[in-house]
Amino acid sequence: MNPFKSPIKWLLKDTPLATRNEITPKLGFALVVLFALVWLIPFLWMVVATLRPASDGINAMAELMPNLKPTLDNIRDAWDIGDFPRYFLNTTIICTGILTVQFVTVTLAGFAFARLSFAGKTLIFYLFLLQLMLVPVLLIVPNLTLVAKLGLYDTLTGVMMPFFASAFGTFLMRQAFEAIPTELEDAALIDGAGVFARIRHIYVPLSLPSFSAFAIVSVTSHWNDFLWPLMVINSPDKRPLTIGLSVFTQTAEGTQAWGTIAAGTLIVIAPLLVTFLIFQKRFISSFVTSGIK
Amino acid sequence: MLLSRRLALGLTLVGALAFPAFAEGPTEIDLFFPVPVDGKLARDMGTLIKDFNETHPDIKATAVYTGSYDDTLIKTRAAIKAGKPPSAVIMSANFLLDMQIENELTNLDPLIAADGTTKPQFLGQFFPALSGNAVINRSVYGVPFQNSTPLLYINAEHAKEAGLDPDKPPQTWAELTDWAKKLTKREGDKVTRWGIAIPCAYDYCGWMMETLTMSNGGRYYNEEFGGEVYYDTPSMLGALSWWNDLIARHKVHPPGATPGPAVSTAFISGNASMMMLSTGSLTYVRDNAKFPYKVAFIPRNVRNAVPIGGASLIIPAGLEADKQKAAWTLIKWMTSPEKSGWWSRATGYFAPNMAAYKTPEMVDFLGKNPDAKTAVDQLEVAKPWFATYKTVPVRKTLEDEVMLVLNGKKQPKDALAAAQKAADELLKPYNAETALKLP
Repeated sequence: MNPFKSPIKWLLKDTPLATRNEITPKLGFALVVLFALVWLIPFLWMVVATLRPASDGINAMAELMPNLKPTLDNIRDAWDIGDFPRYFLNTTIICTGILTVQFVTVTLAGFAFARLSFAGKTLIFYLFLLQLMLVPVLLIVPNLTLVAKLGLYDTLTGVMMPFFASAFGTFLMRQAFEAIPTELEDAALIDGAGVFARIRHIYVPLSLPSFSAFAIVSVTSHWNDFLWPLMVINSPDKRPLTIGLSVFTQTAEGTQAWGTIAAGTLIVIAPLLVTFLIFQKRFISSFVTSGIK
Repeated sequence: MLLSRRLALGLTLVGALAFPAFAEGPTEIDLFFPVPVDGKLARDMGTLIKDFNETHPDIKATAVYTGSYDDTLIKTRAAIKAGKPPSAVIMSANFLLDMQIENELTNLDPLIAADGTTKPQFLGQFFPALSGNAVINRSVYGVPFQNSTPLLYINAEHAKEAGLDPDKPPQTWAELTDWAKKLTKREGDKVTRWGIAIPCAYDYCGWMMETLTMSNGGRYYNEEFGGEVYYDTPSMLGALSWWNDLIARHKVHPPGATPGPAVSTAFISGNASMMMLSTGSLTYVRDNAKFPYKVAFIPRNVRNAVPIGGASLIIPAGLEADKQKAAWTLIKWMTSPEKSGWWSRATGYFAPNMAAYKTPEMVDFLGKNPDAKTAVDQLEVAKPWFATYKTVPVRKTLEDEVMLVLNGKKQPKDALAAAQKAADELLKPYNAETALKLP
């Protein structure tokens, strides 16, 4: 079917035959398209603002229509002001570092809460959940004091450390593990599998959607984190992307160069955006199957 | 690599402890700096520090970017509590009192005395209006570095169009209201050009309220003591009511609480004919305005008065002696006539060091850009910037309420009463500890 000839039909080609001629799904679809457009406008503005030459003046800044002579000046400016390759590297190290350790800790903790029985299990689990209620900002001073005492002030490890354990992740993995039939584990037990072998061969492979959902939540939140890295990091060469970007977006008394800001923002969100576009389907299905909506 | 560096550092430390005489290499210091103006200044700051390091081989300074003024306070406090105080900080001038109350600042008096200068000599270099935020209980705690006053910016082209003389800017609130009415353009009920815009976002909003209250004859807080604010007073009520009238009654000011960048963008794009904004934005306006513009004093209702703004250099408490000494060298260098003049020309802030205006570069610059002189002239009537115990939360109680008023959700009278109540609650412990403590 040619998508350009009848776009509506093409978009609805996967719907079940019975509902294809009903009006309600079409209305719903139109509503979704409308919301998508509203969501798209600021993004579109950012792209247009990035490519607009500064010589257009600030007057043109509010316009959504692209200029006929796009320029890469803004991107070059932003690139010059910030050492973006290094910022990218630092942010990647932080996100992957946190995620790797989190995978180990949340798997083990989730397994303990789902399948082991020990004294005070419920109480400890509630304490874990309680942690979800705390705003991270509240813990800045105690966390920083600890990080400094461990000699990790101004290091990337110091930025990562407070997030090595995750209450949210533990909760999520506990839910996922509990949904796995115990018969599978019993069968493995009969075959003589130890605890780690059972986790490795039964629980982890069967909970992959939950793992990927958790990975998305974890990476996006640490990719975007500003205040905590700002507290820990002093050296310019250890700045993550958010701090590098804020060097030219945060103002108190002055004013802003919108083109450069738009370019910087685009540079910063591009990797996450591209990843999302590529793995879109898998992302959504992982959220659906893991129960986060 | 990280490990080997820490190892090397450890060895250096051991070496320094064991053989103090052989301890070599420059003293390493950190300077925390916020970027309260156009981000390209982060590069200018880099240039400044590089220049310092090249001329002072025994010191190695690193410029550490620390976010907004408010973020800088959080980071500095957290670093001090974690036992890693920075050597020097460019700190919003109105946070000094709060930090001094919390014992987070180094008293600079001994350092001044060690240089063989007296306090009056040292302070005599700077504009007298700046002392209010640098001197606490007769001791020096901060050195003025980049300072500002609010200004009235006028689009001269629009003024001429409306039959107004941009060389005779409005001097009173009545004249300003009149100008704003004449400058506002409407198509039916829709406004196509606003007469005036005044920013209201966290930090800026409190500063503008202080500006308006002062020109309405009032005070914002007790300048001598950190435990009292005067929100629920006739002078502040008059100020807030006038601001609200510009929006709700005269409809010459864009509705709602408008952040600073939106105000300057509206002015540059010609959507607002006048704005009240910091002199810190002057360089940006000069570079971007495609029309002739004028800057003028903030008009008065009762008297001409404005608060100062901007930042001072401080040394946190608890530093080792050698770092303290190096930081002091850096601070003196940065506030020297040449360097503070250079920074002023780059940013639009005025140079706090009076001698800066006698340097040939500055004389030349002012000849070409007479608008840079207005903020300096206005210093004659400038007063200290809002500073109390717990400055930021106390300031926010007012800002939250002012935003509600500007958004049309509350009446000025009720808003100020609520702000006063919330602020009094925050100031209670300090008052109990000081003003209400009886022998």
